This record gives sequence, C-alpha cells and structure tokens, in this order.
Amino acid sequence: MLRSKAIGIGILLSIIFAVTAVPTGETNPGGIEPSISTLVEANGCSCHNVGDGDMNNPNSEVILNLTMPSNFTAGETYTLILNISGGPNDIAPMVEGPNMGGFMLKASSGVLTPINDNVWKPADASYLTHTEDGNNLREWSFNWTAPDSDSIVTSFMVYGNSVNGNAKDPTDNAGNSGDYWNSATFALAGKNAQIAEGGAHGELSGPKKVVYGFGIVFITLAVVVVGYRMVDQDESFEEVMKSYWKWIYPWLTTTDHKYIGTLYIVTGFAWFFIGGVLGLLIRWQLFEPRVDGDFLTYQEYNSTFTMHGTTMIFMAAMPIIFGFANYLIPLQIGARDLAFPRLNSFGYWLLPTGGIVLYMGYFTGGAGDVGWTGYAPYSSGASATRPGTDFWVAGQLMLGASSTLTAVNFLVTMLRMRAPGVTLMKMPLFAWSILVTVFLLLLSIPVFTVALILLMADRTFGSLYFSGPDSDPILWQHLFWYFGHPEVYIVILPAFGVLSEIISTFSRRPIFGYTSMVYAMATIGIISFVVYGHHMFTTGADPLFRFIVMLTTMLVAVPTGIKIFNWLATMTGGSVVLNTPMMFSLGTIITFTIGGITGIILASIPLDIAFHDTYFVVAHFHYVLIGGTMFSFIAGVYYWFPKMTGKMMNERLGIIHFATTFITFNAAFYPMHNVGISGMPRRYATYDASLTELNQFISIFAILFGLAQLIFVYNVFYSYRNGEKAGDNPWNGWSLEWATSSPPPENSFIEIPTLLDAEEEAKKSE
Amino acid sequence: MSLISDLIYFENPAIWDSFGGTSSGLGGLTWQMFIWSVVVGVLVIVWLIYNLIYFRHKEGDPEPKDALKAGVFPHERGDVKIELTWTIAPLILVAWLTFLSLAPLDYMWDIPDNEDADVTVEVTAGSWYWGFEYANGYVKPEEFTKCSSNINCLEVPANSIIRFNITAQDVLHAFYLPDMGIKQDAVPGLDTATWVDTGIVSARDEPYRIYCTEYCGNSHSMMLAEIYVTEVNDA
Repeated sequence: MLRSKAIGIGILLSIIFAVTAVPTGETNPGGIEPSISTLVEANGCSCHNVGDGDMNNPNSEVILNLTMPSNFTAGETYTLILNISGGPNDIAPMVEGPNMGGFMLKASSGVLTPINDNVWKPADASYLTHTEDGNNLREWSFNWTAPDSDSIVTSFMVYGNSVNGNAKDPTDNAGNSGDYWNSATFALAGKNAQIAEGGAHGELSGPKKVVYGFGIVFITLAVVVVGYRMVDQDESFEEVMKSYWKWIYPWLTTTDHKYIGTLYIVTGFAWFFIGGVLGLLIRWQLFEPRVDGDFLTYQEYNSTFTMHGTTMIFMAAMPIIFGFANYLIPLQIGARDLAFPRLNSFGYWLLPTGGIVLYMGYFTGGAGDVGWTGYAPYSSGASATRPGTDFWVAGQLMLGASSTLTAVNFLVTMLRMRAPGVTLMKMPLFAWSILVTVFLLLLSIPVFTVALILLMADRTFGSLYFSGPDSDPILWQHLFWYFGHPEVYIVILPAFGVLSEIISTFSRRPIFGYTSMVYAMATIGIISFVVYGHHMFTTGADPLFRFIVMLTTMLVAVPTGIKIFNWLATMTGGSVVLNTPMMFSLGTIITFTIGGITGIILASIPLDIAFHDTYFVVAHFHYVLIGGTMFSFIAGVYYWFPKMTGKMMNERLGIIHFATTFITFNAAFYPMHNVGISGMPRRYATYDASLTELNQFISIFAILFGLAQLIFVYNVFYSYRNGEKAGDNPWNGWSLEWATSSPPPENSFIEIPTLLDAEEEAKKSE
Repeated sequence: MSLISDLIYFENPAIWDSFGGTSSGLGGLTWQMFIWSVVVGVLVIVWLIYNLIYFRHKEGDPEPKDALKAGVFPHERGDVKIELTWTIAPLILVAWLTFLSLAPLDYMWDIPDNEDADVTVEVTAGSWYWGFEYANGYVKPEEFTKCSSNINCLEVPANSIIRFNITAQDVLHAFYLPDMGIKQDAVPGLDTATWVDTGIVSARDEPYRIYCTEYCGNSHSMMLAEIYVTEVNDA
C-alpha cells in the first residue's frame, strides 16, 4: 500500500517536473530582440538600401566582430573594438573614398563613451554611432564603463553597414542603394555572473507569464483537489485517480452527439476565455500610448492580436456553433445521432489538437504574428515569426479539416435522417441555418486549405507562390477572402437561427414569415460568395471588380433587414415573456443592427477608403461577432441549458449578467467608431496621444466586460448544482427537442417522434 | 475636448466637411449615411420598445390561438404585402446610398495623369519607413524648409493637386492620410496611385499625419511619417 502511494506521488512529481521543464526547450529564432525605440533601431540601417537590395533583412555577408575582454569587473572601464568585413565594400573596396561603413551599438548596461572623432553619442541617447569622419572606416574603438554589479551579463547589440560608396555621386538618391547591413549581439559576462540555463533569454514576456501563471494555478488546483480527496475520503492515490478516470473515460471515448456537443461547447467557451484574456492584454497595451516593451514588445503585441483573432473565430465561435449544432440538430430533426458518429468524434478531437498546435508558437520564441488574415508576402517571408507562424498555418489546416468533416456529417444527417413529418420546409430555423452554413463551409474551406498549403510550401520548401519576383502578392487576399467572407457568415447565420427560435418561443407565437426567413438565409449564403472583394477596396485590384463587389455587398442588407423586421413582427401581436434568453436576443437585435449599419457604411467604397483598417472596422466586426454571434449563443446557453442538464439557470444572475454585459459591451466598443474616424489604425501597438482618454475609457470597459462574463461562468456552475428542476418543455417551444426528456435519454428519443402539422394536430384533437 | 463630446462628435473634419472633394454638408455621402443610420437604428429600437410595452405577457393572459406546442409545426404566420414592403424599402435605401457613393467614387478614381498633377510624388514604402521623391523634375520651392530628409517627411504646396505613385519594397503597406481621407495599399511589384487636392486642408506649420495601415511586421505601429502643407507664393 505504502509502495503504491510512493509510486503515485512519484508520478505526480514527475508530471509536475515535466510540465515545468517543457518551456526550457525554447529556441530563439529571431535572436534576442533589440529594444526598439527609434526608427534607426527599428530598421537597422535599412535607410541605406533605398532603391534595391533586400533592405528589409540583414545580410549575412556582412560580418561583425567586437573585440572585448573575457569578463568584466564592476565599475572598470574597457576599450572595445568593433570591426566590419564582407558586403559590397569588400567587393569594390573604396580605398581612398569616404563612406565605407557605419555602425550603431548599444549596451544593455554600463555606459558607452566615444574616445575619438570617429565615434559619437547623440544627445540624450545611450547608444554610439559613427560620425562623418568615422564613415570612412571599417573599424572603430570606444570605451565602455562596466555597471556597478559584476554578477550580470551585458549584451551589446550592434548594427553594422557595409557601404559601396556611391554616395559621392550627388545626383538623386543613389547614395543609399546597394548597401548591406547586418546585426549581431555580443554577450560579456561579469566576473561573478552565474550563467544560468536559458538565462540568456532573459525575463519572461507578458503572454508567457500569463500562460505559466495559468499552468501553475491549474497544477496547484489539481494537487489540492487530489490531495483533499486522499485525506478527506481516506482514499489511496490510485482510488482517486481511478474514480476520476471513470468520470473522464466516457468523455474521451464518446461518439454520442450529446456528449460531443457538450465537449464542443465547453471547449469553445474555454478558448473564448483564453482569447478574451489575450484581448484584455491588447486593451492593457493600449491603455496609454506605450512605446515598445513598456508592457508588451511590438513583436508580442503582434502575436497577441493574431492569436486573439484566430482563437475567437476558429476556436471559440466555430466550436460553440458546432457544439449547439451537434447537440440540437439530431434532436430537432428527430434522429438518434449524427450519420457518422465516429467521424464526428474525430472532427471534435482535431479541434483541441489544432488549437494546441496553434499555441505552440508561444513556447518556441513567439506565436504567429501575421494577423488572423495572414497576408502574404509578409506571412510567406522570413520576418514572420519562425516557427510560430508555421505552427499557426499547421493549426489552421487541422481546424479546417475538423470543420470539413463536421460539415459533411451534418449535411448527410439533415438530408437523410429526418423523422417522419420533418420535411425540409418544416425544419426549425436553427436547423436551416446550420444547413446553409455547412454548404458555405464545404464550398469555402477547400480554397483556404489550398491557400494554407501554398503558404506552407512558401515558408518551408522555398516555393514562390506569394513572394517570388513573378508572383502576385494580392493572390493570397483573393484566396483568403474567398473563404474569409463566407466564414464570417458561417459564424453569423447560426446566430440568426438561434435568435429565430428564441424570439418565436418567448413571443409564444410562430415566427413571422418562416418561408421568407429560410429564403433570406439562403440568399445571404449565396451572396456571401460574391462579396469578398469588399475587403480589398484599397488594394489596387481591378476597379470593375471592386465596383461590382460594392453593389453585391449593399445587397446583403436586404435579406438581413428582412430577418430583423421579421423578428420584430413576430413579437408584435405576441405575448412576450422576458426571460434571460429573450433579453439577450433582444440585446442582440440592437447590437447586431448597429453592426449591420456600419457594415453598409463600409460597403461604400469612398467611405471604406477612409475607414479601412482603422478602429472603425474593429468596432464593426466586434459589433457583429460579439454583439451578434456571441450574444445569441449566450442566449442559446440560457435557452437550452435546461434541455441539456435538466436544471433551470438562475434567472436573477442571468438578468445581472445581461445588464452588465450589454452596458459594458457598448461602452467598450462603441467609442472604437470614434477612435477609428479620428484615424487610429488597427493593429497598432501605440497611438496618437490625443486619443489617450478615449482609449482608456475603452480599456476600462473592456476589462469590466471581461469580468461580467465571470457571472455567467458562476451561473452555469451554480445552476448545474442548485438549479430548479426543468420539465421537458420549460419554455413551451415547438421543435422536436422539446418533445424528449430533459436531459435527453441515452438514445435521444425512446421512440422516434413524428412531427405533426398544426392542421393535423387540430383535426386530431377534435 | 472632453470625453463626452469626443463620444458624441466623431471628430475628423476631413470626413464631415470636405470629404472626397465632392458635395459636403447634409447632401454629402457622409451625412446621408449618418442620417439613414440613425433613422434605421431608431426605427428598430422604437419598434422593439413598442413591442415590449404593448405585447408583454401578463398573468392571466389567454394563450394566443396559435400558441406553440411541442412536436407540432406551427401555422405559417406572414403577410406577403408587409414582407414585400420590407424587402423593397431596404432595397431602395441601399440603392440610394450606392447612388450617392458614385460621385465621390468617380472623383477619387479619376486620378490626374502625372503631367496634369501640380506635383507628383513617388512614394516608396519599406519596413518600416516611407521614402518620398518628387517626380517630373519638380523644383522644390524655396518655401519648403520643414523636411530635413526625404525619409518619413514630405512637404507639398497648398491648394494643389498632388498625385502619389506608390510602391512597396518588401511586404504590403498602406499609405494613409487620415486628415484627408486617402488610403492606398502599397504592393511590392505593383504601382498603385492615388491623389489629393490639398485645398481641402489648411496650410499650417504643424504636419499632417501619414500612417501605414496594412500590417507589415514588428514595427508596423512606428511606420509613421509627416506631410507638411505649405503656402507657396509663385504658384
């Protein structure tokens, strides 16, 4: 007994050790980042390369060398020598001429001082650079006074420039062309420095701290919970593990649509939480106009908004939608399960796996930093994080495969497995919205998959689809948005379905214009394939293409308007019961209408040219994605929670949740319109100081919005334990899921139901 | 400017007053968009509130005749005339807004030729800076004293037609003049063009802003430049 306990504790310890040990396997592909505070530091010597050459990237032909002692003593002054070799100056040495090379050097600690006229230190600066005299040299010496402590490591960041000397020709701008630069970092340890493992990577970055923080919290919780049971219930470690295993095993192996649906929903909300934390990191960075590294470095900021966008669309919104579809579609059409249960399970497990692959970038020197749109040629070039961006591409491919498999499954289920009486035009509107959605998925995802594979080939095999001399840099945008625009309708159409169900149920009357609702959704689906060019109004694509796309985009307003008016008409003449699901639905109508209106404004090319890629766009898509999709699916949780668990959700907590969410959401996102119109571009880690007040307002309410969601989390757990018992049909809905018990039995329906028509029902009861 | 007035008034004169150089004020595209946005928004909210006031369920209300029943597909509710109304009305509205967009669009896309513009500027975007060069042998007037280099700084005459020929060196960038409502992507290997009439902004000593608005990597947020609009006498 004692032995098995010891083994158990040993395993636990080794798991903890393994988890903490993983991050030390980190690589630093981009080298150690310089702190970028001025243009020169940001660009290296790129201003020397106007005209030709690969000015963006350092050139490895240029070799930098810094001569320095083997270690340093505190406070001592040393003379260091920097020299440059290689590059154009080697090929055509300008023996007599000026302009042979240049440099910039900064030290992470200590003080640099020039010792002759070749080197100078700009006023208020801490770095050294060459003077005009020093322009003619390829070797410079200067003094460095060591810091007060010799238990640290000082690193020297050097930019060196090898120059071909054509600046002597005063005509035009030729002076800068054909020059190459490189950068290097040299570390000089103090006498007493402890060179720790991984110490060269320095402090943990912001997002890493968060990831590690959650890891530590999670492990501590696990130890406490397991330990508590061992002590309190006097169970052995094995018994505790066994009882957990018994609980977790069905979740890992299930092919039941209800279990998989729940897994999808929980996973989706978990990623929503992680994506939300990333969003709050963005808002904290923008709390005031910060410079690089004040809170996040630019690189980290770029990774943060990339992962925020990708997480929210592909790992939060989509799984939540698939979760509800998984749980409800078989119930709504009267089937016992999906057509291919094991395929369904496979589709689900690709999701957390793909998500983890996407996030691997955080442990390998920086997550993908290409934006959720991944525009080439930046994403196909060398400067995007490596391997973070490769992980981003690989993860996206897996998520795409997951969606495709699931879409096939739903399509077959809905076309072949409907219960008697459930004709296509008698399916609930949520089922219809999913049917349209899966068509969109099946038509759009292959294009994205192809684009991702081409991008991956560019990144890893050196092909030139997106960044070669003869390739078209706009090609990626066509491929991406051909998928990307249907994608945003993929996430909004199911929300329309949820709203239609809830509004009809809580008005206690049939939906107004069922048929026109179905046609409106189908129309939106079809139009979605011919509007994608509105993301490309400023690219310089063919004007005729852009003009046609403006017309089709304007047309989307018509079916969307029909839906909104039909919902309102459903309430008119009804008997409206105002429970939490209904409140969230009505809130959604307001926020989605605002998002739709700004969509029309952005569809007008002249206005889009002014607003494109500013915070106005950010406001627009948060209004449709949070204010449309997320709000209606939160309403969906309140609405279907009784069906899934057999317990009602707490109404008072629900109302508080709605009020705080609705107010903080609008307070956080509405001012983004103003910020955008004032000209603040999106994806900026800093901004014009005159916008500080508004940005602080936004940040504060964004944080409050995040906190308000904790009420929801609490409500779910609280109601799961303490909720009132829900009957089979607590809200008096009509569709077939309300005809089975809550929660539904193992096989969903004891007996396959038949959907009656209202007329048949009337005859029967006579 | 206090926070409240910031929230109410979307401050950017370029957008409101002289947007795109065509009809401004209430007849202009921006104001029309704003007015119709408010009309539609208010319509939806008022109708919603009206429903909530007049059609709330009260204790003891009789069940509606066509109340929902589990397992029964409800009666189709609807009225073709009403539904046609709110199909056609939005159609007319978006048609009107599209029509309004045509004039400014035509104005914006009617880019003057290199020879017809008062000044043509070759804009080169690189990571992460803007390079400017006057083309067509334009002689810099002596009033231009504000820029010490042609990197991240441009000076143009007031009340003139400026054409920008834009290209990028490495990845996508976008040339954005927020105060003049101009934006054009800079694409490597492709020459794009845009133009602006500096008559829509006042000549002043402080610079107007130039931003990069297409994500281009690490220091995207620092890819800023300045454009000075200066009065030139002999023009």
